[in-house]
Amino acid sequence: MKKSGELQNSPQAASKKVARQKVLLGLVGAFVVLLAVLPLFASGFWMRTLTLLFLLAAMAEGWNFIGGYTGYAAFGNVAFFGIGAYGTALSMLRLHFPFFLALLVGAAAAMLFAVLVGLPVLRLKGHYFAIATVALATGVGEVADFWTDFTGGAAGLTLPFFHPIQLSNYFFYYIAFVLVLFGLGLTYFIMKRKLGYSWLAIREDEDAAKMMGINTTWSKVVAFALSALMAGLAGGIYAYWNTFVLAEEVFKIEYTLQMILATVLGGPGTVFGPFIGAFIYYILITLLVFFLPVGQLHATILGLIIILVMVFTPQGVMDFLSGRKRLTLSALLENIRTHKV
Amino acid sequence: MGSLELTQGVVNAILLSGTLALVAIGFSIVWGILNIINIAHGAFIMLGAYVTYWLFTLFGIDPFLSIPLSMITLFIVGYVIQRYLINLVIRAPLLVTFLLTFALEIVIINLATFFWKGDLRSVTPAYSGAGFTIGAVQIPYVRLGAFAISLLLTGLLHVFLTYTKTGNAIRATGMDIDAARLQGVKIAQSYALTFALGSALAGAAGSLISISFPIDPTMGGAYTLRAFLICVLGGLGSIPGVMLGALLYAFIEVFSGIYAPGLKDAIALFVLVFVLIVRPTGIAGKAFYH
Repeated sequence: MKKSGELQNSPQAASKKVARQKVLLGLVGAFVVLLAVLPLFASGFWMRTLTLLFLLAAMAEGWNFIGGYTGYAAFGNVAFFGIGAYGTALSMLRLHFPFFLALLVGAAAAMLFAVLVGLPVLRLKGHYFAIATVALATGVGEVADFWTDFTGGAAGLTLPFFHPIQLSNYFFYYIAFVLVLFGLGLTYFIMKRKLGYSWLAIREDEDAAKMMGINTTWSKVVAFALSALMAGLAGGIYAYWNTFVLAEEVFKIEYTLQMILATVLGGPGTVFGPFIGAFIYYILITLLVFFLPVGQLHATILGLIIILVMVFTPQGVMDFLSGRKRLTLSALLENIRTHKV
Repeated sequence: MGSLELTQGVVNAILLSGTLALVAIGFSIVWGILNIINIAHGAFIMLGAYVTYWLFTLFGIDPFLSIPLSMITLFIVGYVIQRYLINLVIRAPLLVTFLLTFALEIVIINLATFFWKGDLRSVTPAYSGAGFTIGAVQIPYVRLGAFAISLLLTGLLHVFLTYTKTGNAIRATGMDIDAARLQGVKIAQSYALTFALGSALAGAAGSLISISFPIDPTMGGAYTLRAFLICVLGGLGSIPGVMLGALLYAFIEVFSGIYAPGLKDAIALFVLVFVLIVRPTGIAGKAFYH
């Protein structure tokens, strides 16, 4: 996705942009501090909601590496979430590993899968890549469902509770929060380095990137593996938190759609976009569920939000927040103006 | 496994390939002309199946006779969706259109589950179990009828695209959008018609499927994946290619069902990824609706 009009030449505009970015950074900083001290005031319900939100934000940060920065429409990232969940659960149950070691095993398994699958699949482009990832995620989910001896199949896996149980809410809140911060830091770190620039180069023109001597295969596989790392860690945390792992739950295609939607809502290919997008998504969903008696129509709401976002702001809200664009009706209709027939 | 089972398998595969070709052909023209992967294709198939189911259950209309009604319904649904939604963002990057049709699929399936419940249902006309035998090979009437209707509709589509002005306009849009516009083709209209046509064919496929198999609101996803696989096998953009792809895929499905039941889907997915990697343009290579 090309962005035009980003370079503003006049010094006033440049200094205004810097000032605006400082304000934005300050706001995000204040927000992070608020979230860090929130458990002192918040009820269990809100802590659980925010924990879920953090896990989604972490997965979205992961998807951003491959989908946002590298420009590969990966539609099977839930596979990494599921593998992370199963890897963590099985290491705790079969090998009696402590949770943190098991979590690393789960994430490593997800990354290994991403590398093995990524090497052939990342050679595909466009629609072919997108569908191949959907197919792989579906396939892995089916294998987990049928391989009863190893995964427990349809009976699922039951994990021990976190001990002491009174601290359980705090433990999972903070570990998910740290994962989000880790994702932000990792994104910032990589995007200042050669690897980050190679992703952008691949997104804009892969052949040209290759001509410039970038090892595109390696760059893409690393992006895919890092997105697997984030989703795998989120999956492992979710498994222990939920104390139950079931294939049809942890391989749900809705999770992939949610992480893509969060990224796209916030702004694909930006550091804070997925994090902000996850918040917007949760606020929207919570408000809609609160005010409308939707019940079983939860998926319809998700679908309608996706449709509206795709039609009006497929570049996310980061453009508006960072002052690159002003929020006007004509800005909202710009996508239609440039892409309709 | 004896030669009887083998012959029966071959016959089953050939009969199945007709319906599968119809499943894939609508998906293929939408992909070929509009450059959209329509994830909601399977949901349209499901809607077609339910049109037939309700007409049969509520009014006792013969399932084969309900096919035109199911096609008209889906034609209208497809036309409206393309004209007033997808056309708005059709030139946006792939992620946008892909996610848009994905969202449509979710909405349609969710609403269908909400209103019609998730139960398995089946259409059972009086002749549903009947058939005839050649030697020891059984041929059910409904499967043979479905095969014949699939071939008929595929043939009609070919005639429409080749010999009518509108059909030529659709093909021209797929070949070169600017040249087509210069010739006076209304692109927005042409896109909407193509999508509507693809949806109508999905509706017909759904009606045929509902006669031979049980249906439920989530039945479509598997057919979207099959349609994609068939297009990849046969190569995008030609009717004979789709038919060849459907035949190949029907053999894979029937025989992996005989030799390795339970791994049917896994084998199909493996074939998909394998073919994509080895030969991304499909076995029949590149062609374009001629």
